[in-house]
Amino acid sequence: MSYSDKVIDHYNNPRNVGSLDKSSTDVGTGLVGAPECGDVMKLQIKVNRETNVIEEAKFKTFGCGSAIASSSLATEWVKGKTVDEALSIKNMDIVKELSLPPVKIHCSVLAEDAIRAAIGDWKKKQEAPKPVAAEAK
Amino acid sequence: MTKPAFTEIGAKPLPLETNSCWSCGSMRAAHFCESCGKVQPPAPVDYFSFFGLPAKLTIEVPALETEFYHLSRKLHPDLSARAGSQEQEWSLEQSSLLNDAYRTLRDPIKRTQYLLRLEGVELEEQSKSATEQARATGGVKKQIVPPDLLEEVFELNMQLEELKMNKQMQEDDAALTAEIAKHKTALEEKYESLLQELQSYWKEWDALMERNPRAESPERKQISAKMVDVLNRRNYIRNLVRDVNAALEN
Ligand code: FES
Ligand SMILES: [Zn+2]
Repeated sequence: MSYSDKVIDHYNNPRNVGSLDKSSTDVGTGLVGAPECGDVMKLQIKVNRETNVIEEAKFKTFGCGSAIASSSLATEWVKGKTVDEALSIKNMDIVKELSLPPVKIHCSVLAEDAIRAAIGDWKKKQEAPKPVAAEAK
Repeated sequence: MTKPAFTEIGAKPLPLETNSCWSCGSMRAAHFCESCGKVQPPAPVDYFSFFGLPAKLTIEVPALETEFYHLSRKLHPDLSARAGSQEQEWSLEQSSLLNDAYRTLRDPIKRTQYLLRLEGVELEEQSKSATEQARATGGVKKQIVPPDLLEEVFELNMQLEELKMNKQMQEDDAALTAEIAKHKTALEEKYESLLQELQSYWKEWDALMERNPRAESPERKQISAKMVDVLNRRNYIRNLVRDVNAALEN
């Protein structure tokens, strides 16, 4: 199976590899896995609490080239979007952009799952009762 | 797994009373006629029924093996009396069905996966449908494997990457190697214990089958969900152990 040029580009020059401070209230972390192949993907976002815009995104994926490319692309796409806009990214958008073959669709699903999981984690943090100091201000 | 042509997955065994022998007209056993011994056309049954077994998961493998050899002799397509006949064709079909059924049922994992398929669980489809559900509800997808296992997989992969980098730089980090090796041992133990966990669900399943094999109870769904869960975790750990071995050997 041959990878598309875009996949190879993301694979060779992955964007936004790394991590953000997991404990920060502005950061949402999504850790997801594909049972089909045993791969794992971590995607983190940092959200501006005034505007709900995703200002930073990082990922680290242990998996196939398509999973790495999908998550790399996902971090590029979510940056600058609001949380709600980011939620509208579908795995098929990724499939199209990267020209993934049918057997690699689950890799793109992983990326969509990761975005959702990161946003879900961030939302949960926003709902959690604020520390007393923050409330007092 | 490729579907054998004559096994309709999920098909209920045909009631035997309705089948009479194509040759002598008397009532027949599943694979060949009890009166005249001629091979019969394959009936659309699942692998358990093929062996005349109930859909239970605890199987006496030695007994299965004996039955397998017994049937393979009797169904053998090369018996000269059958040469060139329709009966020989049926023998051929029955024999290949027999081989598939035996290979599936004698292996504890394949047997479980097969049963789950009969129950309508699509192991490969699961993840996708969970994603679709999350999309529809705007929620977070329920991960197929538990978060702590994902965390473990991720952390270990980080260490493996570090190990690889060290090796590239010709550096030897004995402490890291030792830690990874220790982790591997723990994973192998977990892998073993998952088989035991699986077997405990077999017991629950078998008990349910004894009470009521056709029950559409929530319990039925629950037990199969637990089995799916164990299989998924086991898969992850197997892949992980494989990666660790590759990293340590290089
Ligand atoms: S093969 Fe598993 S994520 Fe691509
Ligand atoms: Zn007969």
